Amino acid sequence: MLEIRWHSRAGQGAVTGAKGLADVISTTGKHVQAFAFYGSAKRGAAMTAYNRVDDKPVLNHEKYMEPDYVFVIDPALVYTSDVTVNGKDNTKYIITTHLPKDELIKAQPKLEGKEVYTVDCITIANETIGRPIPNTPMLGAFMKISEMYDIEFFKESMKRILKKLPQKIVDANMIAIQRAYDEVK
Amino acid sequence: MSKQQGWDEFEIGAMLRSFDGKIDECPAFTPQRDRNYSQNSSHVASVADWRLIKPVYNKDYCIDCQFCWVYCPDVSIISRDKKMIGIDMDHCKGCGVCVEVCPTNPKSLLMFPEQADEETEIASWPTKDEKEE
Amino acid sequence: MAFDKLELNEIEVWDGNHAAAQALRQAQVDVVSAYPITPSTAVVEGYAKFKADNLVEGEVVMVESEHAAMSGCIGAAAAGGRVATATASQGLALMAETLYQASGMRLPIVLNLVNRALAAPLNVNCDHSDMYMVRDSGWIQFDAFNAQEAYDLNLIAFKVGEDHDVRLPVVVNQDGFLTSHTAQGLHPLSDDDAYNFVGEYKPMNDMLDFEHPVSHGIQTEEDWHFEHKARQHADTMNIVPAKIDEAFAEFERISGRKYNHIEKYDMDDAEVCVVCMGTSVETAREVAKEMREKGIKAGVIGIRVFRPFPFADISEALKDLKAVAVLDRSAPGGAAGALFNEIAGSLINTDTKVLLSGYIYGLGGRDLTKKHLVDLYTELQANADAGKLLTQQQQFIGVRGPKLAFL
Ligand code: SF4
Ligand code: SF4
Repeated sequence: MLEIRWHSRAGQGAVTGAKGLADVISTTGKHVQAFAFYGSAKRGAAMTAYNRVDDKPVLNHEKYMEPDYVFVIDPALVYTSDVTVNGKDNTKYIITTHLPKDELIKAQPKLEGKEVYTVDCITIANETIGRPIPNTPMLGAFMKISEMYDIEFFKESMKRILKKLPQKIVDANMIAIQRAYDEVK
Repeated sequence: MSKQQGWDEFEIGAMLRSFDGKIDECPAFTPQRDRNYSQNSSHVASVADWRLIKPVYNKDYCIDCQFCWVYCPDVSIISRDKKMIGIDMDHCKGCGVCVEVCPTNPKSLLMFPEQADEETEIASWPTKDEKEE
Repeated sequence: MAFDKLELNEIEVWDGNHAAAQALRQAQVDVVSAYPITPSTAVVEGYAKFKADNLVEGEVVMVESEHAAMSGCIGAAAAGGRVATATASQGLALMAETLYQASGMRLPIVLNLVNRALAAPLNVNCDHSDMYMVRDSGWIQFDAFNAQEAYDLNLIAFKVGEDHDVRLPVVVNQDGFLTSHTAQGLHPLSDDDAYNFVGEYKPMNDMLDFEHPVSHGIQTEEDWHFEHKARQHADTMNIVPAKIDEAFAEFERISGRKYNHIEKYDMDDAEVCVVCMGTSVETAREVAKEMREKGIKAGVIGIRVFRPFPFADISEALKDLKAVAVLDRSAPGGAAGALFNEIAGSLINTDTKVLLSGYIYGLGGRDLTKKHLVDLYTELQANADAGKLLTQQQQFIGVRGPKLAFL
């Protein structure tokens, strides 16, 4: 069982990201689950979304999770909420920030000793899609760190999932995914 | 409908049929007497014995405004081609609403005791009430 | 037909709301009269989108309240259409009066009830207090434990409810957010297979049949009311269960997915068992498997058909067990949990020695964790070993503060 927790603000696309990831993974024969904690359900409020992936049907519906991966797609949440809660020793953290990794860890000592990766999904999204929607870049970074799928396969799959959007937006998302894949450290 | 029927002896749903069998034509185009009302229709239940007083119709003053037809709670005003032609005495319960709403002066409908003779009352119908003007 | 069909993939990743909306599309519902409310909104929204995209021929009627929503459904159903809607929680509370109209008028409406807590305090998350609130309203009630089942049970609901020997409205329950907003892979039927299963709508006593005029919504008083209600209960008890069996069997033939009035998991040799509804059934299944590795003969029963309640199935499944926990996801309001009461009612007057305990859990969306269930099975095993209840009959799971136990 692979478990992922997303930290996001409502409106940043964590739910869409989690469902999109589930959709891609599902096409490879695995069983998936994607859900979210909506909290006060106001745009901008901190929220969490979740993925579970397994070779057999996912029956567990508890919201409690000890994640293998933590995605933080809003740069402020690493300070205002505890992104390490229920973490395991080998949990991997992919965090959106403009800071170098050592400065980020200095600013948030809870990340000390954790396997932390950084990527500036907000800037990437702004420069490619033109809006601070950091969900698809985060998935590009995840493909790099997890080596789950070949990035070209992943981009092709995401094209199918995003197909209802205008072609320009789809293309911009592909660039964003690739940039995050290349830039995550 | 017999009140003795048990729970398993009627059609399901809070639903009653107005007519027995199939209706070939819109009932509105069929005169009432020719309609095949079912036992569930209130048409087959007379309320004539509810009456202590009855409306009498005097067509001399009637302007066919249809107010009585609209207001009668038991659909007992008989109207054909927008002309008031009389009262269905099987379904009139003697409430007097039709008299209340009749706008003519004198009124074209007045209430009399159930045993009153219609022709006599029409012959001595009140004249125009000046005070009302 | 004047609308387009959809080519679906063998596996679609849908959440419960979308799954329900797809089922309404495939059933070619004529009228959806609705007043959207979280977390059920996406069912109606989804159907409206299908309508906008010319994927259905039906009508979406947006009204001013849930009371009007169900009233619209009743009107449309009495007129002779295939009708569905969705609601939750407060919406269902406002709808409650009209639910009794729908069942009393024997109108086969399908209501997607996306289970949510009832205020106060205001809460949009899952519990089963809305499901329980209308449990005696005369509707058939199915319960889905995941999105696949929410889809399947919608199709089955039309099939059962619209049968001329049944003619009853059907609630399809799914857990708010836990199912409605949780995307999982599911295997939809093709549009043709789904529609052929549900079948063309066959009107009965419809107001649009001008050759047989009917008056719907009649008044009866003391002279007739009891007979009407007795007839409705008799049909629900005598006819509906077999019709559900038929629909389940036919659905299995076309989908390979088998449904039962109660779903039994690891029950063949079980000694202790958890009975519950909604997504908790699946989490409990996973924990039961893990408990077996620890030597506890754990099983799970999920209630698939909440109304008519499967009394005989339950007593047959539970009577030889040692200890059973019944989980109620609704504040009991000064009584035992409703499901606990039904289960106790199924077992009384049998010679069973099973130890029955009730647990209130998950109110307002409070998480039911695997850890909670591990502790629960451990407690059941202790009861079984002791041959008596070591706790009071009613306890609370996952609430903060001093331990609560009653009865
Ligand atoms: S007395 Fe009442 S019931 Fe009779 S015709 Fe007049 S309004 Fe109708
Ligand atoms: S209300 Fe009076 S005037 Fe009008 S139609 Fe009736 S009887 Fe005639």
